[in-house]
Amino acid sequence: MTDWFPLWLSVRVALTATLVAGTLGVALAYLLAKARFRGRGLIEAVVTLPIVLPPTVLGFYLLTTLGVNSPIGRAWEDLFGQPLVFTQTAAVIAASVSALPFVVRTARSAIETVDPRVEAAARVAGLPEWRVGAFVTLPMARKGLGAGIALGFARALGDFGATVMVAGNIPGQTQTLPIKVFDAVQAGDLAAARTGSLILAGIAVVVLLAVTQLSGQRL
Amino acid sequence: VVVVVAVAAAGCGSDGAAGAREGSSPPSITVAAASDLRFAFEELGARFEDETGTAVTFSFGSSGQLREQILNGAPFDVFASANVAFVDAVLAAGRGRPETKADYAFGRLALWTPPGVDLPAGIHELTAPTYRRIAVANPVHAPYGVAAVQALESAGILGAVEGRLVYGENISDTLRIARSGNADVGIVALSLVIADDRDHVLLPEDLHEPLRQALVVTAEGASTEAAIAFVDFVNGAEGREVMVRYGFALPGERRATG
Repeated sequence: MTDWFPLWLSVRVALTATLVAGTLGVALAYLLAKARFRGRGLIEAVVTLPIVLPPTVLGFYLLTTLGVNSPIGRAWEDLFGQPLVFTQTAAVIAASVSALPFVVRTARSAIETVDPRVEAAARVAGLPEWRVGAFVTLPMARKGLGAGIALGFARALGDFGATVMVAGNIPGQTQTLPIKVFDAVQAGDLAAARTGSLILAGIAVVVLLAVTQLSGQRL
Repeated sequence: VVVVVAVAAAGCGSDGAAGAREGSSPPSITVAAASDLRFAFEELGARFEDETGTAVTFSFGSSGQLREQILNGAPFDVFASANVAFVDAVLAAGRGRPETKADYAFGRLALWTPPGVDLPAGIHELTAPTYRRIAVANPVHAPYGVAAVQALESAGILGAVEGRLVYGENISDTLRIARSGNADVGIVALSLVIADDRDHVLLPEDLHEPLRQALVVTAEGASTEAAIAFVDFVNGAEGREVMVRYGFALPGERRATG
């Protein structure tokens, strides 16, 4: 009997994380591409950190920030009556943070390559700045935004290190497919490890093909 | 950023662990168990579910890692450690029920080699050049790793083989390293290889401090009763029979050192 729960959980966590990282990431990308303000470089560096940090370090920081002994963790427990860590919410947070830089970086370069003359023309036509962004810049950058969101989804789906630290390895609750693969290898259940790995590799290939399609054509 | 993500994610996941635990129609418990228990406890869990209707989910890891998770608020109902010290640490932090602390087994070490490598006759033979890589569990957080290093030290060969040691995350990861052929021999838990089709060499238990395995109920609220029932089951007649079959010595029945 194949246990489909890890795959289902992974897809659910990754989709939710993509929603979070996609919304936040596109907004941040727009801000970083258009606005000039102090601390912009710092925001960019912090957002990019998850790409270069070892996932274990990221997981450790998240555990420290969200754990039962942290202010956020305590506030959460007061509010919802149970700790935040070792829940599916924690898995979503880990996946969102891991996915965010992929969305921001890809979306930002897409936004920056939109022809400024078109935006200028829209302004001349009398559109307020927010409508220029919402109806001109972002639609014109849509393929790049799509590529960034697709990359973010792939990264969220594949996260292991950060997720296992803040969400644990609880079968039926927080055991995502990458964690299931790890557990299956440890248990000597190579058949399950192969199936899980094949599914994850398959999804990754499909997503990367989609990204190539999206970013390969001119915007 | 973390805060924003946390708030944004709040909507999604609150049905996560809470939903699984509160939907009390078929009762269920989650057990954090040392990875030397993987095979024995999976069998025990299935039997317990058959007899009581309570589903048991296991999260296996090294005892040190599981202790960290419990101290950080992991929703486990029972903690079955490979070393009593980790149970004491959980109790000291106020996250377990002291009256439920109980010994349930003594673990034993065994040498295991992958196909194509001759099994050593005893621990002293590990200095032979055949054994280029020796897999042990990480002694920093895995009790079987501590015991393995103690055994090498008692045998007087730790210095000779120290450079050849490779560390598994926990004892089943250690066996995985050996099983894959990436180490020529593993110092593993007897319980993981006793049912194996390959031979093993049991190490004398006086080579290391006893692997005194203890458990404790860490449940709070609704699942406490089921957790206590599971602990009683492990230490009951049926549980003890299964543990013995997987090579564990039982508390009260263990021979004096030697």
